[in-house]
Amino acid sequence: MAQVEETHLPKEKIENPRVRMWKMMFGRLFQNKLAVFGGVVTFGLIFTAIFAAWLAPHDPTEQNYSAVLQGPSLEYWFGTDNLGRDLFSRVIYGAQVSLQAGLISVGIALAIGVPIGLISGYYRGFLDEYIIMRLTDAMLSIPALVLALALAAVLGAGLTNAMIAIGLVLTPNFIRLIRGEVLAHREKEYVEAGKASGISDFKLIIKHILPNTMAPIMVQATLAIAAAIIVEASLSYLGLGTQPPDPSWGSMLANGQGYLDSAPWIALFPGFFIFLTVISINLFGDGIRDMLDPKMK
Amino acid sequence: MKSSMYAKRIVVMLTLLSLVVLAACGGDDEGAEESDPSDSEGEGTETSEGDGDMLVVGLDDDPPLLDPHLSTAQVESQIFLSVYETVVTVDENLDIQPGLAEDWEVSDDGTTYTFYLQEDVTFHDGTEFNAEALEYNFERILDEELGSPASSDLALIDTMTVEGEHTLVVELEEPFAPFLAGLTHRAGQVVSPEAAEDEEVDLSNHPVGTGPYQFEEAVAQSHISFEAYEDYWGEAPGVDQLEYRTFTNEDTRITNLTSGELDIVNRVAYKDIEQLEEDPEIEMSYEDGIGFQGMMLNTNRAPFDNQEVRQAMNYAVDREAIAEVVFHGGVNPSVSPFAPSSWANNPDLEVPERDAERAQELLESSAVDDLSFTLSIRPSPAEQQLGEMLQSMLNEVGFEVELEQVEFGTMLDNMYEEDYDVARLGWSGRVDPDGNIYSWFHTGETYNFTGSNNEELDELLVEARTSTDQGEREEMYHEAAEILWDDAPYIFLYHENDYKPMKENVQGFNHVPDGLIRTSELYFE
Repeated sequence: MAQVEETHLPKEKIENPRVRMWKMMFGRLFQNKLAVFGGVVTFGLIFTAIFAAWLAPHDPTEQNYSAVLQGPSLEYWFGTDNLGRDLFSRVIYGAQVSLQAGLISVGIALAIGVPIGLISGYYRGFLDEYIIMRLTDAMLSIPALVLALALAAVLGAGLTNAMIAIGLVLTPNFIRLIRGEVLAHREKEYVEAGKASGISDFKLIIKHILPNTMAPIMVQATLAIAAAIIVEASLSYLGLGTQPPDPSWGSMLANGQGYLDSAPWIALFPGFFIFLTVISINLFGDGIRDMLDPKMK
Repeated sequence: MKSSMYAKRIVVMLTLLSLVVLAACGGDDEGAEESDPSDSEGEGTETSEGDGDMLVVGLDDDPPLLDPHLSTAQVESQIFLSVYETVVTVDENLDIQPGLAEDWEVSDDGTTYTFYLQEDVTFHDGTEFNAEALEYNFERILDEELGSPASSDLALIDTMTVEGEHTLVVELEEPFAPFLAGLTHRAGQVVSPEAAEDEEVDLSNHPVGTGPYQFEEAVAQSHISFEAYEDYWGEAPGVDQLEYRTFTNEDTRITNLTSGELDIVNRVAYKDIEQLEEDPEIEMSYEDGIGFQGMMLNTNRAPFDNQEVRQAMNYAVDREAIAEVVFHGGVNPSVSPFAPSSWANNPDLEVPERDAERAQELLESSAVDDLSFTLSIRPSPAEQQLGEMLQSMLNEVGFEVELEQVEFGTMLDNMYEEDYDVARLGWSGRVDPDGNIYSWFHTGETYNFTGSNNEELDELLVEARTSTDQGEREEMYHEAAEILWDDAPYIFLYHENDYKPMKENVQGFNHVPDGLIRTSELYFE
């Protein structure tokens, strides 16, 4: 077998097909201007969140009663809120909360959704058809925010509980997606071949089927992060998410609602950042989807 | 249901926000300017024609209980004055005036009260009001099975004698100075005996009184509606239909007032006062309040079973800053249950400046390690702001404060079960100073949710309520306020002032310091 390999050709001149594929895919990504914009903003926000402590000029929870409801200035770039807290610093720390909420809740959804989806799709049968799928149907029939509200109310207010609630709400989407992918793959020849050569089910699922379903999972996960950020902001807006005095864009928005006339900046900046973050992640996610789509040229 | 409403609100909010952003970018303001005047014109005609026969009052909370003898929430009292009448009433100078009793006599020793009742008064269910009906009401309040919070106002009644159809003689065990003042409020509110006995009527949700308005329907978290009572004995109300609508969010409440949905509002956020005063379509009435506001400490629980910890709270809070930042100077910082306008107020008890060091010293000497607790606040933006301020001030001296938002009804339930650490709960106040202190701080009384028991204070309070000499009482209340400051079961923060904004076409409003809206006096211009 070894002789058949093209050993006589100089290796360095031929590009590894895998590298070529990646190059092509990233080329596709970089051609998409909106996706690049989304990506840059997203990574900028991640950077902001990580280095919040260095970037924020003030303590986000420090109250300065002599500087209440001040408009944007050199000292307070985004102005101050009704307790004299620096909104710029709060927006920066709010990025931490938002991204944390996005990543952790999607992490939870993946951790639960991926194994269930894999098992459900691979083994099918009663468990899949009558229990898992009907349960996901039931969960999907309730609007995401309403379900998250109910769960957060039951679990109690707080960021951790909000993230758990959001994670659970996002889970059925992943179960369905992965199950569908697995259903398509389990009929394919490489799976048949694997089965014939006696590989255990576990190994087949983990080593062969799962890697082949990665692309759609990645796309779905990226978009779910954006959805999770909105839901976290909504829960915090309603007082069920991040608890005071910690800054969350959602609770800042709620706080600013009463000052839309007199101090619009309180609501404007967090509102704008929710908007910017969600739209950037969505654009970036769309870009990744196109990049991974083999049918795209 | 509620959550989906919230969800919708968020969607609307986010949409609006993006619109604001877009509008700011667009810079084309013409459209907005054009639409404004036509909008307000449209609403103007609607108010005068459509809502002309209906007075709509905005409330800050949903009234949980419509039985005056069981009620504890001030928001319920707003409604009671429309449907129930009291034995005697109070005017804007807090002087006692006739009510269902057109006249009364008090014996020289202060123990015998003779009430001469109005004739030709009927309840909304058609039954007649007379001396027996009043006797029934007093007995109902005193009935231990009912557990009326108003019973403390009548607790000293020894015997009652009906002398003829419309005369009731009440003998007290000993003189009780606040007796008549108590009858201007819940203890004096007269329900139909027949309706009270009939379980099918369910007085808690279906009030039956003698007042100018009779009950129509109540929808929780939405509205309570009334119509003028045809056979009312007094002057007919100025507006035939009356509706109370609940808006717990103060911003929504005020928006509904300025947009024309509401005619008058029982409570307004201090941050909005300036803006409302400038609004040409809004009339603002102002009066010193008689209540008190602060934090209630559960002295049965650690760490507040320790007096030094409680005292530390007193020094850790910055009352001036709170008055300025949250209330825009619209309240009076305070350390006593009596408002500055009250004759019982102790002028020597000054509001100290914040003293974080003193607080820390007290905490250190208390040797209490665990200083974490939950501060319960009601879900309103101003409460949240105040809560965050208190949290920050208290954390700074060493406490660990967690904020928890609780609906008002739930908060009251928790209070009665003494299931709380610290609660941001105040008192709307009573005409007689006794009503601001006795049931709150005397051992085992109705509103003594702090669980405090101080023998010295108890004795003083009993003495003060049985004395008929105002000079003596004044001194006793001065001393009582000092004891409260030292014992600190309750952290007094400020005295509210009462602001009532209403549409400019609403006339006849008479601002009584108890903060209650006498709806039947109101009419449209």
